Amino acid sequence: MTWSWIPQNAAMIRQLTLENAYLGIVPALLGLVISLPLGIACARWKWFYPPVLSAASVLYALPSLALFIVLIPYTGLTDTTVIIPLTLFSLCVLVPNVVDGMRSVPESVRQAATAMGFGALRRLVQVELPIAIPVVIAGLRVAVVSSISLASVGQLIGVSSLGYLFIDGYQRDFPTEIIVGGALIIALALVCDLVLVLARRALTPWQPPSRQREAAEIAARQQPAAAVPGGAR
Amino acid sequence: MITFEGVTKRYPGGTVAVDNLDLEVPAGQTMVLVGPSGCGKTTSLRMINRMIDPSGGKILLDGKDIQESNPSVLRRGIGYVIQQSGLFPNRTIQDNIATVPLLIGWGRARARARARELMTLVGLEEQLARRYPYQLSGGQQQRVGVARALAADPPVLLMDEPFSAVDPIVRATLQDELIKLQADLHKTIVLVTHDVEEAIKVGDQVAIFRPGGHLAQLDTPERLLAAPADSYVENFLGFDRGIRRLSFLAASGLNLDDRTVVGEDTAASMAAQVARQAGEDWVLVMDSGRRPCGWAAASDLESLPSGSQAGQARLEPYGHTFGVHTDSLRAALDATVLSPAGRAVGVDDDGRVIGVTSYERLRVTIHAADEDSPQAAGLAGATRRDMAPEAAAEQ
Repeated sequence: MTWSWIPQNAAMIRQLTLENAYLGIVPALLGLVISLPLGIACARWKWFYPPVLSAASVLYALPSLALFIVLIPYTGLTDTTVIIPLTLFSLCVLVPNVVDGMRSVPESVRQAATAMGFGALRRLVQVELPIAIPVVIAGLRVAVVSSISLASVGQLIGVSSLGYLFIDGYQRDFPTEIIVGGALIIALALVCDLVLVLARRALTPWQPPSRQREAAEIAARQQPAAAVPGGAR
Repeated sequence: MITFEGVTKRYPGGTVAVDNLDLEVPAGQTMVLVGPSGCGKTTSLRMINRMIDPSGGKILLDGKDIQESNPSVLRRGIGYVIQQSGLFPNRTIQDNIATVPLLIGWGRARARARARELMTLVGLEEQLARRYPYQLSGGQQQRVGVARALAADPPVLLMDEPFSAVDPIVRATLQDELIKLQADLHKTIVLVTHDVEEAIKVGDQVAIFRPGGHLAQLDTPERLLAAPADSYVENFLGFDRGIRRLSFLAASGLNLDDRTVVGEDTAASMAAQVARQAGEDWVLVMDSGRRPCGWAAASDLESLPSGSQAGQARLEPYGHTFGVHTDSLRAALDATVLSPAGRAVGVDDDGRVIGVTSYERLRVTIHAADEDSPQAAGLAGATRRDMAPEAAAEQ
């Protein structure tokens, strides 16, 4: 470990970190934009969910490098070539989370909203989506972290990220570079995760603190299914 | 006023939830729909605000067919209270209550002011306004549910098993408060429950459903208990309907005995004589303010040395009293059953003794009530008509 290497290359390291962050966050957000309508549709029309889920799983199974190579003729050696596959991968986590989020809205709440005169769209925007936020953000955390780590693979086709430090360090047989690259990817993932946790707390002041929430969930499970409207599902 | 005209709900697959229902809910009254699960009571309720549309017949709200209304607009004019409170977990208490006012375009300030007003009305402390539903107890949440339903002051209130998810003590309190609220507000309330006690307690009228979506009987609680239409209704009401019916008869109808009531400074020998003359074994001893002290046995009074006062006798506790002007015959009977003397103390609003009652006096009053309203005796039509003139002649 050559500590002096770090300050000498501070500018490059900062640049690579920012690029890696960009390549990690943008696909997760694009994935969210696609997953919201898709997940809402899957929650509403149950028959639609299995094919969508299968498609998302198939996409996730594709090797990232293979996708990059397929895309190069169309999008060249640009960020887009990395962002598109990572966006597709994120769907595998985000769509199920949006569906679960929509399903986390208690049936009594949905019925109460309808009975008070909410139309379908207003109910979705003002009642269902806000209640789905915690579950959706849980999915977003996984998507962001996995995009951040996968983004480094883009270096193989020359799209700049912290992956550069792995390749360069390997070629020069210089472990310091590899260790710094790994540590920064982990740190970046942790920071993004923390930001999302804080965002969830800020957006959902109405959630019980986790201990109370667990107790409430246990209590809810112990209630006879028949007592909960739609509980038999 | 809500009118069901030949309303039927048939599901694809042939299940009939509600079968040709005719029902009228008069304005300003509480109508309770009660029956076992699968009897169509909830379906009937949900057809009123078009959560479910009927497959046949029509429902009129103040004479207007609800099928002609836009569902969302119709619903904003009908309050709705759901079993599990159904509060929006992401909204504060005041914003939950302000939901419908905001939907119909009141400003936020006006809607919140209205929410505060309603919190007071349903007995919620104002400091809860900014809390979230998870921070409230089940009973408090249900109060918020009621406040939310009342927020835009709708003339009609639908309540779908509103109190079934809270414990029995809270439930009884909420029922009492609903009765009080309704006495002030005069909403047209339709309440669904599977609890016949609740139906009898809060309903002006009770509609008992039988499985298959048929109406078994529609009557006032008092008449249901006195004259169930058939064995299904009788079974549904439960075995102690004879006693529950006494809740509807006022204790003031009792002919109380004020002879066997003595002051504590009465001579013991006098008190014993009073009991013997009245043919009773006990006298009630009271203090100078006419408050009861306890029961003294005639034999005990006689065994006291001469010159003693009644207050020196061994006094048996008088148990709980009943208010002659406020309680029902059920309370009087209960007090009688619990009293060691087999007789119970009737008091006025200030707790002063008016007189005492006994099983025999209760029996006479109950029978007299039956004769006053012959139908209440639960006898078949012909017998009833035959008996009525006789009863009148005797009086």
